[in-house]
Formats: sequence, C-alpha cells, structure tokens
Amino acid sequence: HPIRNTVSSPGYSTLDPIECSFCLLFLFVEILERVWEISFLFVMLFCFCLDLLFQQYPGVSQLSSSLGGLSLQSSPQPESLRPVNLTQERNILPTAPVWAPVPNLNLDLKKLNCSPDSFRCTLTNIPQTQALLNKAKLPLGLLLHPFRDLTQLPVITSNTIVRCRSCRTYINPFVSFIDQRRWKCNLCYRVNDVPEEFMYNPLTRSYGEPHKRPEVQNSTVEFIASSDYMLRPPQPAVYLFVLDVSHNAVEAGYLTILCQSLLENLDKLPGDSRTRIGFVTFDSTIHFYNLQEGLSQPQMLIVSDIDDVFLPTPDSLLVNLYESKELIRDLLNALPNMFTNTRETHSALGPALQAAFKLMSPTGGRVSVFQTQLPSLGAGLLQSREDPNQRSSTKVVQHLGPATDFYKKLALDCSGQQTAVDLFLLSSQYSDLASLACMSKYSAGCIYYYPSFHCIHNPSQAEKLQKDLKRYLTRKIGFEAVMRIRCTKGLSMHTFHGNFFVRSTDLLSLANINPDAGFAVQLSIEESLTDTSLVCFQTALLYTSSKGERRIRVHTLCLPVVSSLADVYAGVDVQAAICLLANMAVDRSVSSSLSDARDALVNAVVDSLSAYGSTISNFQHSALIAPNSLKLFPLYVLALLKQKAFRTGTSTRLDDRVYAMCQIKSQPLVHLMKMIHPNLYRIDRLTDEGAIHVNDRVVPQPPLQKLSAEKLTREGAFLMDCGSVFYIWIGKGCENNFIEDVLGCPNFASIPQKMTHLPELDTLSSERTRSFITWLRDSRPLSPVLHVVKDESPAKTEFFQHLIEDRTEAAFSYYEFLLHIQQQICK
Amino acid sequence: MVLLTMIARVADGLPLAASMQEDEQSGRDLQQYQSQAKQLFRKLNEQSPTRCTLEAGAMTFHYIIEQGVCYLVLCEAAFPKKLAFAYLEDLHSEFDEQHGKKVPTVSRPYSFIEFDTFIQKTKKLYIDSRARRNLGSINTELQDVQRIMVANIEEVLQRGEALSGSAEIDTLNQKKYSSESPTFNKQHFLSYLG
Repeated sequence: HPIRNTVSSPGYSTLDPIECSFCLLFLFVEILERVWEISFLFVMLFCFCLDLLFQQYPGVSQLSSSLGGLSLQSSPQPESLRPVNLTQERNILPTAPVWAPVPNLNLDLKKLNCSPDSFRCTLTNIPQTQALLNKAKLPLGLLLHPFRDLTQLPVITSNTIVRCRSCRTYINPFVSFIDQRRWKCNLCYRVNDVPEEFMYNPLTRSYGEPHKRPEVQNSTVEFIASSDYMLRPPQPAVYLFVLDVSHNAVEAGYLTILCQSLLENLDKLPGDSRTRIGFVTFDSTIHFYNLQEGLSQPQMLIVSDIDDVFLPTPDSLLVNLYESKELIRDLLNALPNMFTNTRETHSALGPALQAAFKLMSPTGGRVSVFQTQLPSLGAGLLQSREDPNQRSSTKVVQHLGPATDFYKKLALDCSGQQTAVDLFLLSSQYSDLASLACMSKYSAGCIYYYPSFHCIHNPSQAEKLQKDLKRYLTRKIGFEAVMRIRCTKGLSMHTFHGNFFVRSTDLLSLANINPDAGFAVQLSIEESLTDTSLVCFQTALLYTSSKGERRIRVHTLCLPVVSSLADVYAGVDVQAAICLLANMAVDRSVSSSLSDARDALVNAVVDSLSAYGSTISNFQHSALIAPNSLKLFPLYVLALLKQKAFRTGTSTRLDDRVYAMCQIKSQPLVHLMKMIHPNLYRIDRLTDEGAIHVNDRVVPQPPLQKLSAEKLTREGAFLMDCGSVFYIWIGKGCENNFIEDVLGCPNFASIPQKMTHLPELDTLSSERTRSFITWLRDSRPLSPVLHVVKDESPAKTEFFQHLIEDRTEAAFSYYEFLLHIQQQICK
Repeated sequence: MVLLTMIARVADGLPLAASMQEDEQSGRDLQQYQSQAKQLFRKLNEQSPTRCTLEAGAMTFHYIIEQGVCYLVLCEAAFPKKLAFAYLEDLHSEFDEQHGKKVPTVSRPYSFIEFDTFIQKTKKLYIDSRARRNLGSINTELQDVQRIMVANIEEVLQRGEALSGSAEIDTLNQKKYSSESPTFNKQHFLSYLG
C-alpha cells in the first residue's frame, strides 16, 4: 500500500450546497485514509520493535508458562539483561552503591521476602534444572548473615511452634493455606493441619485467619523455644581470657589496652546474674587465678607441668562476675604490671588451651586467646615455616594449610563442649596463623589480627585493638547454638563456608554465634524443578541468649524458577557470586594450590561470558559483551586476583595472606565486598547536592570513583573505604583551603606523616568531611582506622595497591584483563 | 553427691529453674536422667504425693511439691534421704519467697534460671562433710523421712497414670482444670512480645 505523498485539498471558493456536501464527504474519506495510514505506521513500528525484542530475548514466550509467582508488570526486556560492551565502556563502575537485585516476584511476595542483608542468593532466578545451571557457568549458592544486629525483630511466644510434620520447616510467609484449617509446606509440599491455637491471632485478637499471624507475615522471626529444644538447662554466659605474658607480649604492650577495656566494659558483658569470668596467663608455665569471693586479693596458682595439665583447684577459677567483681577489678589493675620484668621468652600456648578446655567443659562458653608469637613449648608448638624470600613469588605459595592437627582437634573437642575459641593474634613476626586459625575455624570462633602490633610504635594498631575490643566485649552473643538450612525439594546443599563444625549434611554446630559472622553454602539441583514456579530457603538458628533464653531465629527467602538461560543471566547477583567464588577460591588454594584457585577465578569469568555470548544471536567476537547484571563481574574478579589473599608477584607476608583468607571465609557479604573492591570518593569538593539527612545531620553523598590512579588528580583529596581501614590521600597540589579547613595544617608540607584523626574544626568543609566519615563509620560494627596518606610519601604503597584497575609489574590493568578474557573466549 | 536439681511448675510441667553438676565426668551421663525428670514433671498433678523418692538404678530422685511447684533432686543412691529433703526444703523456702508469686504468670521455660546461683551455693553446703555430720541439727519439723513413699521411676513413667496417693479420680477438680485451660492459653498469647 503506497503512501501517497500528495494530498489533494479541496478549494475554498464559493460553493453551492450539493458541491459542498460532496466536498465534505470527500474530506471525510481523506481523513479516514490518513488515520488508517498513520495507525498502520504505528503497527509497523511496533512489529519492528517486537522483532528486535524477540531477537535478543528468546525467553519471553517461556516466561509466561512460569508466571505463577512472577510480577505481571515485568517488562519483557529487563534492564539487567541489557547488553553492555565492556571493552568500550570507559566507566563501568556506577557512581552510586550497587544494591542487591530484587527477585522478580509479585508485589505481595516481594514485600514479605527476606532482607538481602540477612539472606542472599547468587542467582535470583533459579534455573529449573542442573543442566541449565551448568550452561550458565555461574556458581549457585547462598550467603547468610543470620545473626546480624536487627532494629526490628518480631518475637513469638507461643505454646506451639508450627512446623511441617515431615521436613520440620517452620511455618513462613510462603506456605499456602488450603481452606483455613490446613497448610501446605513450601519446601516438601506436605499438607499439615493448622493447630487450634494457631487459628487465634494475638495481634488482631481475631479468630480464623491463620495467614495473618506474625509468623506468616514476616520472613524473619524469632521464636521463644520450649524445653523440647534444649538438651540441658540454658547455660550461663561464661567468659575465659587466656593471655600470653611472655617477654614478647609484655614488649608489645597489649595487656594494658585489654585490661583497660575490660575494666570499662565489665558491666556491659552480655549475661545475667549467673555470668562467670576467669583468667589464665601463660609463658613457659600456666598461671591460674583464684578469685573466690571472700579472698582479700586474687591468688595466683602456677602449674609448671605443661605435659600433663591439671586444674589446681576445682572451682574458684571461673567465678561469678557480680560476686567477685572487686577481686576481678584488682586483678585487671595488677595484670599489666605483674610481668614487666619477665625474662620468659617461651610460649606454651597448647598446654594453656588444654587447661582452658578443662575449665570450660562443664558449662561451655567463650574463650578469648591473646597470642603474640609462635607457640614454642609443649603440645602444639610450631616452627617458622615462612621463607621471606618467597613473599613475592609468582609460583607456588606454600604453607597455606595447618602444620599440625593439634589446633583442629582441640577446636573439635571444645565445640563438643559448647566452647568457642576466639583468637587475637598480635604479632610482629610470622606466627603461623594458618595453623593457629584452626582453633577458631572449627569451634565457631572468630579471628582478629594485628600485624606489627606495638602499643607505642604502632599507635593505629593500638587504637584498632581498643575499638575492636569494645565491640567484641559488648556485642550480642548466642551460646550452644545449631543452625540448619533447608531448601525446597529438588535442591540440595553440598559445601558450607564459615567457622563452625558440620555435624551432619545440613546441621552446623556453633558453640557461639555472634552478629558479625557470615556464612555461605553451595547448592546443586538434584531434581528438576518443573512442578513449581517458586523455591524457598530457610535458615533456622537455635541458640541460648546471654540471659538464658532459648530462641530460634528463622529467615525464609523465596525466589522464582526460570527455564531459559537468558532469564538466569537476568537474575544474577554479581556481588553474591563474587563472594561465593572468593570462598571457593580459598578452599581451592588450600586443598590444591593458589595458582589453581587463580585460574579457576579467571575461568569463571571466561566461561560465564562465553556462555552468555551464545544466547545473543548477533554475537560479535571483536567486543566483550556482558549482560548488565554481570558487567562488574570481570572488575570484581580482577580485584579478587589483586587481593592480598590471592595476589602473586607482590610481596605479601604469609600471615597477612592467611588472615585475608580467613576473613573471606567468615565475613558477611557487606564487609567482604569492601575488602574486595573498596569505595573511593573525592572529598575536597564535597557539596550538599544529593545529601541525605541522618539525625539532624547533613551527610554529603559524593559519587563513587573507579579504583584507578587516572582518577586521582594531584589537585584533589580522596577517601578510600576498605572496610576496616580508611585512607585519605592528599594530592601534592591539593588546595590549601582544604588542607587548612579540614586537616588543620597550613600547607601540604606540614601534614604529619602519620596522621590518624581529623581535627574538629569549625569550618564548613571540616563539618561536611567529618559528617561523611562518621556516617560511613556508623554503617558497620567494627570501627575502622583512619590513615592520612600524603602523595609521594612511603605510606602510599598500601593505598595504591587498592587501585585495582591499574597495571602493576605483576598484574594486568582492567582493560588488559578484559582483552585477556576476550582472547580466552575466542579460543 | 547431688547431681541434678530441677524446679518445675506442677500444672503443666514448665521448667522454672535448674542446676546441673559441674563435673567433666558426670555432666555427660545426665541426659537420660534429665529426660526422665522432664517426663516425671509432665505426669505430676494435684493428686501426686507431695513427697516422694524414686529409684533409678544407681541414682535416686527425691522431690517435694509445695504451692504448685515441684522441687526435684537427683543424687547417688547412697546420699542420705534426710539431707536430700532438707536441701529441697531450703530451696523451697528461698524460691517461694523470691519468685513464688510470679510462678502462675510465666510462660517461658526456665524463667527463673538465675536461681541457679542460689541452688549451687545451697548444694555446696549440703555436700560439705560438716553438714553431713550435723544430721541431728537438721530442721526437726521435717517430716519423718521413713514415711515418704518410695517407688521405681521406670514403673511410674511407663504406667502412664498420674502418680496418685489415692485411687479415686477427682472428677470435680478435673472439670475445673479443663475449663481453666483456655484462660491459661490466652495468657500465653497475650505475652506476645513485639
């Protein structure tokens, strides 16, 4: 149908009526024709667009079959699937923080779903079959932060805790109610009866609406458990401190900081009137302290037979905190000075831990170990295994695993008696953290590391210890805990990551649980998920609170199932994927080798982008294309390859490397991401544009910068947030205004080499800068240390190591890495 | 040797406080006795004898019931009965004074777990050899322990009947308790914590 270009228009000279009506009729027909042509044009255009859509997103037709729980408003072209040409995109990093992707569910389910801060999956669209998952070449797993500090938590006190009869899943927002009296489990599909009590809703005081009860309206709930959930009466909070007092330890000077911190926080230790505390110090012998109420002063009892450790007195070594408070204070005041003239250089850590185990066995609780050197005496003694010349090795990195199984065995024994062992390593030299870490790994403990610790020569480490101790001593704690993760029929879990003891296929034994612990688990699809459009995951953490209450914290996550490869890519949570890969890489480094782990990381990018490429019909080999959901994947993997845990060719102390690996395995996602890819901001030009208001304070929100020296202009000042450390880099040509107003120094040259605090100056830029930094600080439990780094000072290497997009002698730049990946794909 | 002390509400067997022997050896074997104790609490009711001794192999349970609360102790068979009952009486008077009024209102298990501190102290007094020698000075108002009913715990638990001093079933009281239970349940729900 040709489109006529000319339109004859009727004349407007005087007409007689008949002619007029004919003209009007003629006009009417013309208009109709035009309307027809224009609408046809629109239809053509629409078809053209649909064509484009169908070319790129073949999954649209298949989506409709699995629309069960899916959002009906979902556009056929999700933003997450938009192809991005990585080699052309100069600025891949978004300027605002990356949020967790929201699973594609209908509005009701979205509102009820578990917060991603507690529970996250690497793929928010679950593949229907293992074959489909394999095609995507992406890891499938969950990242958990089950005990994180919550501001809102529904607590349920009820006679019956409603659970599925066969799989024991707790009732949750994603079950379905059949006729008000029965409910269908969303994990095993079993139909259960609704107990009579459950029909009554205590909140609304109504009857007959079980689906409105709080257990079914919240995906994160806490139940008060009945005595059926207890193997023994709830244990009291028991805290034991095992302290290295060798000459080395006294030199380092940590005792003063620890004792001071304990004195300040003695009343804030979580517990009730039954709380118990005890102290053991050791060098080449073990020292116990009798703190029995009624004594005039603490009594020190020395046991020198370290090959057959025994407790010198049956009780009074772990005493009631309130009854013996004065004696405890006396001891804490005396301890820092008791060993000042010691000549003992040996450290009998192993025997001290054996003594600790004996003390804690009857009750369970927490042991906090402070160690400053290699244990040199008695059971569990360790040799120096690090060869300093190998620190920059590009070949094999050795000794990433333990040298002895003494610490693992001890940890397992402790775990069996509900005792967790936390380690504070404050060493100036190699202390074989790879072996020592086992005491915490298998007993659900946690590890703190302060390399080159010295209370006078290294004040920033001393300050870090002080701040960490405050958090450590006062944060919430759960005792004698177990955690079980359940998932919908068809899915199964195979590998767990974190500090715990795996009791059976899905039961994790946690002697202690703390709010800063993260876990990960890998999943596989055993049976095809063809019968369902949704899958659910549930974490149940059973623990005793510090006040003797037995509680169960339950988180439930719901995700849609998809059957096309494109949909799998549309739902990738790239941050969760990189954290899971990091965990897997740590395991691979220890079981196989570091280079194998590095290869596996690169392959993860190569394989997944290659697999994605096959879903695009007009795939170009000249460009590296990724879906929008995965566009940061190569950047994050490069960051991981340059991270202390996995880097080669750059001098890395073995203990530093092992500690980074321990952190990867035990940090929750939000902190791990900062470790992997720190956040960089320019702070010399802060404005209130886009600022947010927090508690009457205005907090500027500067954009994120990519981690490249290209962005570091000499005329500026930048803040890098690495999670536990902040760096403020000052360019040589930075404006004097900024240096004066914020740093309080007249010019660049006068900025001290080791500045760790920003002065509180009454200037707008000082207020803005401090407001921003405080806001960043408050967003995490562990207070970070601040370092002000001057351009061209020796301290800058540490800072520059985090600029992962840049090339170094040992590693690719980001662009080179992209080319490398492209090459691998085309092979 | 006093190994296990448990205090529970008779009406529904809800545990109120407890203390376990803190010893590497004995701690681990107590599982079985604990579960027997729990089962026993569930079987007790208004008809149960207020004082009883239950043999359990090498160990013995002794209990007293006062004001709807059962005080139970597990000791070695050789431990003197008089001492055991004197110990329970001591626990009763202190517990009743401190917490007696709140007992009908609580719903959480081990709401008075902090009473453990007192239990431990009292236990020490009774285990101390001097106390044993002073048997004579023990509260003479204490009932003659000879008249305390002795039974075997296994039989009692297996029988499935409530321990009863009399064979008659008190139908009147039964009705009263069954009508009171909805009120009781409502109290549970109303203690929902937001």
